[in-house]
Amino acid sequence: MSCKLQEDRPDWKAYTLGEMDARVRQEAENHVAACADCQDELAGLRVTLDAMATLREEELPRRIAFVSDKVFEPRWYQKMAQAFLRPSFAAAGLIAAAILVHAFVRPVGAPANAPSQAMAQVDTRAIEARVTAEVTARLQNEMAAAVNGAVTKAVADTEKRDDQRTAVLLSATERRYSDAADFLNKQVTRIYALNTGAGVR
Amino acid sequence: MIFREVEDRDLIAKARQGDVEAYNLLVSRWEKRIFNYLLRLVSNREDAFDVSQETFLKAYQNLRKLDDPARFSAWLFRIAHNEAFSLLRRRKPESELSEPRPRDFGGRLLPIELSLAVESALKTLNEDQREAVLLKVYQGFKFDEMAEILECPVSTVKSRLYTALDLLRATLAPAVLRKGGLA
Repeated sequence: MSCKLQEDRPDWKAYTLGEMDARVRQEAENHVAACADCQDELAGLRVTLDAMATLREEELPRRIAFVSDKVFEPRWYQKMAQAFLRPSFAAAGLIAAAILVHAFVRPVGAPANAPSQAMAQVDTRAIEARVTAEVTARLQNEMAAAVNGAVTKAVADTEKRDDQRTAVLLSATERRYSDAADFLNKQVTRIYALNTGAGVR
Repeated sequence: MIFREVEDRDLIAKARQGDVEAYNLLVSRWEKRIFNYLLRLVSNREDAFDVSQETFLKAYQNLRKLDDPARFSAWLFRIAHNEAFSLLRRRKPESELSEPRPRDFGGRLLPIELSLAVESALKTLNEDQREAVLLKVYQGFKFDEMAEILECPVSTVKSRLYTALDLLRATLAPAVLRKGGLA
């Protein structure tokens, strides 16, 4: 016996996989109740999916190693770069830079409150371009300077720590050799005195 | 639906601000699902683990690029998919030599044997079909999410999945029917 709906038979795979709309689902359920062909197909799919559900879930052989490692935290230069990119910092930088640039582009000797007629002659587009270029350059310079400064400081700190550690080790070694030399000298003197009778009464 | 005291999206927000522990928690929530998906895809525990680790590392590095935190799972599986297929492409000649053949599961099977039969039957599918089954049957993604993960139309997703189900049904039928006492 074959399904009377033929090509229009319900999509039983979508049905069993939970991808069928509620309305279509209801229609399909009404149909399957009276269709042996569809009952067979549906039963076959359900049995297959039930069998697939027996697949064992495997445990990880070990935990994902990196997640707790501090090395995955942002490095100091990344944090610094992020700080520079924060909107508030960037906005403050832009405003400061704009004030500075404005001071440079204002005609020498012109009063800050020049008449509006004089201001109208200023090429606003050119000023805007210069301001943008200046702000960008200054931000880049400041960022580069900050990064360079931090790198220089980090290198200097490391060198200073190494020097201190070397000095301490050297001092300890010298002291140890000095003590050993004193001890040897005393032993040699004592043996010499015993052998020559010097100092022995 | 499982209630979670802290939602994934909160953890994602914290992780984006550099909170490593928040990301650790995210990983602990998803690592088993990702590992099992990859294990069935690459068929090797060590490779699956390595690819899992690479997936979580890439996700961490690119967390800021995730537009919608509600789509985290699809996004994470997309990364896992890319990493897995990158590995599969690299070792293609080897896998082609050891192409699994359908096996006869005609005998009566214990539950553990049925599980192994399913595992073996999955290996008879091609990579695209197997991945469609993994994402739908074992990970519960909707068709549109699968299309997003696999970067292909929903029609392609359905075609791969439906073909895979027909093949699995044919491969497993003798075993499952005997097991269920239907034959």
